[in-house]
Amino acid sequence: MLNILKYCSTKNKEVNDLLLPMINASNIEDVKIELSKIELLDKNVRKALSRSILIRHLDTGSCNAEEAELLALSNPIYDVTRFGIDFTASPRHADVLTVSGPVTRHLKIAMEKTYNAMPSPKIVIALGDGACNGSIYENTYACLGKIDNFLPVNIYIPGNPPTPIQILKGLLLCKYLLNKK
Amino acid sequence: MNLTNEDLTSARLMSLLKDYRSEANTINPNHLIFLIEKESLQNAIETLYKENDIKTLFLTMVATDERQLNGKYKLHLIFLILNTDILVTFKINLDQTKPSYPAISKFLPAVEWFEREIHDMFGIVAEGIDLPPLVLHRDFPHGKYFPMRKDFEINKEVTISEVPHQFTQPHAEGMHQVAVGPIHAGIIEPGHLRFCTIGEQILEFDAQLFYTHKGIEKIVEDKTIEEGLVLAEHTCGMCSYSHSTAYCQAIESIGQINIPKRALYIRTICLELERLSNHLSDLSAICSAGGFAIASMPAAKFREKIMQLIFKLAEHRFFRGLNAIGGLSKDINDGDFEFLKKNLHALKKEFHSLEEMIIGSDTLLDRLETTGELNFTQAKNIGLVGPAARASGIDIDLRRDFRYAAYQDFILQFHIETEGDALARTKIRIKELYETLNFIPKIIDQLPSGRVKEEMPELLPFQPGIGIIESAKGSLIHWLMLDNKKKIFRWHVRSASYMNWRGVVQATKGNNIVPDAPLVNKSFNLCYACVDR
Repeated sequence: MLNILKYCSTKNKEVNDLLLPMINASNIEDVKIELSKIELLDKNVRKALSRSILIRHLDTGSCNAEEAELLALSNPIYDVTRFGIDFTASPRHADVLTVSGPVTRHLKIAMEKTYNAMPSPKIVIALGDGACNGSIYENTYACLGKIDNFLPVNIYIPGNPPTPIQILKGLLLCKYLLNKK
Repeated sequence: MNLTNEDLTSARLMSLLKDYRSEANTINPNHLIFLIEKESLQNAIETLYKENDIKTLFLTMVATDERQLNGKYKLHLIFLILNTDILVTFKINLDQTKPSYPAISKFLPAVEWFEREIHDMFGIVAEGIDLPPLVLHRDFPHGKYFPMRKDFEINKEVTISEVPHQFTQPHAEGMHQVAVGPIHAGIIEPGHLRFCTIGEQILEFDAQLFYTHKGIEKIVEDKTIEEGLVLAEHTCGMCSYSHSTAYCQAIESIGQINIPKRALYIRTICLELERLSNHLSDLSAICSAGGFAIASMPAAKFREKIMQLIFKLAEHRFFRGLNAIGGLSKDINDGDFEFLKKNLHALKKEFHSLEEMIIGSDTLLDRLETTGELNFTQAKNIGLVGPAARASGIDIDLRRDFRYAAYQDFILQFHIETEGDALARTKIRIKELYETLNFIPKIIDQLPSGRVKEEMPELLPFQPGIGIIESAKGSLIHWLMLDNKKKIFRWHVRSASYMNWRGVVQATKGNNIVPDAPLVNKSFNLCYACVDR
């Protein structure tokens, strides 16, 4: 979870000085912070984690391991909703589209429709090796290859499948990107 | 001389099927192969099913394109004789011009999907029945291209167009249609479901699957067996280890090698751990579909703990890279197993409170009882496997009925329920979870030491290898044949979900309302990836 702090760093030197020992510490409980500075730190961490995002997930032919890991993010151990990240049923409500697996022939039309249904600004995440680079699946009559042949991808989260923590890191990066867009 | 059960049964089968030409199997004496003319196929299959003391189980049906070798297409129908290790294969030669055979599903309904798939992929016609497209959707140029034929180029470009699926249309006043998918509301795999309802009552239900069809069985052709193993692991995520073990078993059965005992024991532990994680995610899904988040969350948490234990053991959350042909790719420390044992013991107490929460909640029981009923006869006709079959009163578990891994060294308790509803399927999972939590420490206690990998001997070409595993979702079969360059000639995967999907369709149709459909679906909790391949 300490990695999240990396996304909180700002141009403010005072805040960075507070964050650095926490990022580098092997045990967060050993880090001592002056009580007077807590408020400043709290404000900056909150700002970095601000802006909720809604995710629409799209399986374009994965081996369902990516889905299992994405689903694991909602369990009480990771609990992504506390960072303001949640999954939505409709692409019309979504800020982020996560795509897993190489694009299959039978899902190409559904994929395009889902992408077009999303409002701008939108972010596309390629989740797992299948979506990032086609993985071990060759191009066949039924398998059309990696996702960025079809959609503009903003973030790649490689992995076979990526672990929940790796996915979470990518999602926090989304917040940063959405702030800029 | 002592005659084993196998010897007696195989002698009996030889005399029963003496009218048909048998083919000597030099590799595995327990695998009987009969060459059958397509006209006498029905007789042969009925002979096999007629006997009371021989319990026959249909495993899979595979087609091969051997035109370059002997100018024929071949069909292989594989049966298992329960409580023995005897496999029976019926082999049918088909002409290369207009290949066809009299439909088998008329008297053996379990093969319906197999016939439709073979028609799509090979253009082999089952005479006398309708063969609507199954694996390849309607916009695929059927009748022009047959992807699994050897002369079909793997990367041939096929145009994509939007052709509507065909379902039963509303045909009476007050009826309407509900379309769901292929992109679903939750984080699940793609599939299109179509309900025909009157009010809330479901009258007709059908599913269009095979959206994630990638042609894995085509990709694997002309690959080495090691490359095939990686693809086998990626067939399905949830039962990744079951698939890779079944694949290894298929190749090991061609080589007839004895796997070191330690490797067998470790494989058994890993298979059981996969069962734990699968059953827990099923329970979590059932509770969340039943609107009971208070039990769904602890089950999900419990599953995550199991996943973390798996990661500690295998350095991958889905056991990828652990299996190797001939054993395991690396040994696991005994210390790690002790750690696992200690943790499972602690988790057992936690699981007890979860069970009380699920079984003790009237609101959830009200949703589960009589939902998605599937009686014994229906289940038997479809050829249901796994926990779903055991919930409908079919007493079958290949961990007991077939010899593989280390299961024959232990005594396990097996459970069946007879109601066949969503509650019975939930109860079966809970009982199996307890059994597995007790079982894994027992294996760890008796874990032998020694090597974990055996060198592979020369593998004979064009011999069928079969791997059978009882995965968490039911039995899965890998059928494999090598060519004379030691490359894969044909590999066929029949997953548990492939058999059970027709069960979901049947169970949803019976006396249910639309809001119960997700619950019925989740009570089976099937994969799409290993069905579609």
